[in-house]
Amino acid sequence: MYQSDIIEVQNLSKHFDLLKAVDDITFSVEQGEIFGFLGPNGAGKTTTIRMLTGVLKPTSGIIKFYGQDAWKNQIAVKQIISNVPEMANAYLDLTGFQNLTFIGEIYGISRNERKKRADDLLKKFELYKRKDDLAKKYSKGMKQRLLLCMALMSNPKILFLDEPTSGLDVQSSIIIKNLIKQYNKDGMTIFLTTHNMDVANELCDRIAIINKGNLIRLDTPENLRAIEKKYQAIDLYPSEQLIISEVERLAGIEKVKKIKNYYHIIVDDLHEAMYQIIDYTKLKKINIKKLNTPEPTLEEVFVKIINSGEKN
Amino acid sequence: MRKIKEKVFNGKSKIENFFDQLRRSFAIAKKDLKIYYNKGPVVIQGIAFPIMLFLAFVVGRNITPIYIISGLTCMVLFLTSTSIGPVVFPWETRQKTLERLITCPISIKTILLGNVWSSFLFGCIFSVVPLILGMLVYGLWKSINILIVFLAIIIASFAFSSFSLILSVPPTDTPANTMILTILIKFPLIFVSPLFTPITLDPIVLISPLSYFLDLINAGLGKTSGFGEYGLLIDFGVLLIFGFFFLFLSFFLHGKMLQKRFKG
Repeated sequence: MYQSDIIEVQNLSKHFDLLKAVDDITFSVEQGEIFGFLGPNGAGKTTTIRMLTGVLKPTSGIIKFYGQDAWKNQIAVKQIISNVPEMANAYLDLTGFQNLTFIGEIYGISRNERKKRADDLLKKFELYKRKDDLAKKYSKGMKQRLLLCMALMSNPKILFLDEPTSGLDVQSSIIIKNLIKQYNKDGMTIFLTTHNMDVANELCDRIAIINKGNLIRLDTPENLRAIEKKYQAIDLYPSEQLIISEVERLAGIEKVKKIKNYYHIIVDDLHEAMYQIIDYTKLKKINIKKLNTPEPTLEEVFVKIINSGEKN
Repeated sequence: MRKIKEKVFNGKSKIENFFDQLRRSFAIAKKDLKIYYNKGPVVIQGIAFPIMLFLAFVVGRNITPIYIISGLTCMVLFLTSTSIGPVVFPWETRQKTLERLITCPISIKTILLGNVWSSFLFGCIFSVVPLILGMLVYGLWKSINILIVFLAIIIASFAFSSFSLILSVPPTDTPANTMILTILIKFPLIFVSPLFTPITLDPIVLISPLSYFLDLINAGLGKTSGFGEYGLLIDFGVLLIFGFFFLFLSFFLHGKMLQKRFKG
């Protein structure tokens, strides 16, 4: 454990009958960082966050917060963390303000202090004008902001966010991302799960990629971007139709996809693939109208890493 | 790091933690009362059923005023104090508020205790209505023993509220499912209890906890206990044992079932 590690996860597993939802993962989170937990749907992100926040008991392994066993010190640990679960909701039959003061009471915050904090947070998250409206009258973006306010009522040291911008409109998404950055700048450690590589890339100091319950990569966004360069593509605009199965058999080429009037070719070796494509089109007497080598999208890289199943 | 640890895990004694959790259970109760008092299943089971059952039992029958009021009080308290408990867990699972609540610094026992407080208050408040009605319409204020009636309502309301927690143990997110289970268990208990009639020592009567509460209310309104010289002690004892048994059983079962609610 590094001096600054505040969350330590060692050989953590969670099995539901025969399903290994999380399988022997180990990582640590440093004080003050935004730690991204990235993976496709069903990868084990939510199960991991549920174990970290004390909702699910691990099948095996250890979780420590500040060196203390999380399961044995549940109440003390929960006092310093806060969580916004992916599918969570505020209490729809309470007003925005009542939702916040209720959470304040649950965290043992004094009456005056919780009213002050609730007002401050509602102003900061642009909900103050609607504070006495029932939460059921809020839009989805407003509900998500209210959930974040609820999570911040206790001034947590560690904030868990499960897909915080999923399904939100652009404006709400930007507000939330900016506030995450701001709270992190003020010293809060943030553990973020997402299946959106762009969100992870924009916000996170380090990113762990999980798939089928296994942690397959843990690195900084810069290092992950360096890996991305391995995964390049060619956009080919031929004068005639290509036979995809033939092109896929060429050396250096992994996959070919027809998109409108061009072919998006994912390659293992860019130079080799270029030579092969030129030779192939010459052989087939097909003219090349245009040929691009676009940077792969983050989505493609993510899929590539997931598919390669590399273990860290 | 050590300083942070000490600051973060500011050690509290077990007693301080106990009172912290107790205070937080009151917050849960306030939230439950605000949210659930007007929910369909609560209104149907807590208000509509007592009225309908009262009409079914009493109309056209020649029943003495004490038995009318004790039977009605008993039914109202039983149905109202068991109306919120079974709804909270499936409702919160469906509304997706339960997971957020569980990650707060409270134990499952605190959440359950909060549910008990809200059901308890709901039961106490509504059971006073038929008693006031009895005093005003039938002049029962002349014979009433306030202390016995007061203690009976408090203890029975606690006992039935604890009992109601068991009904929400199945890890469903559909309140209607628990309501069906609730009706299947609660109605037979009402039917085997000697509501609107004197207490008998029939074995089937002794099975129902309502019989002991009914005996207490009868005694509080001027009748003698149907269970003999120590009848009142037996009534109080049985209700307390019943209440604590189901409270601790619900702590255990809900603790186990919580994992299943968030499976996968």
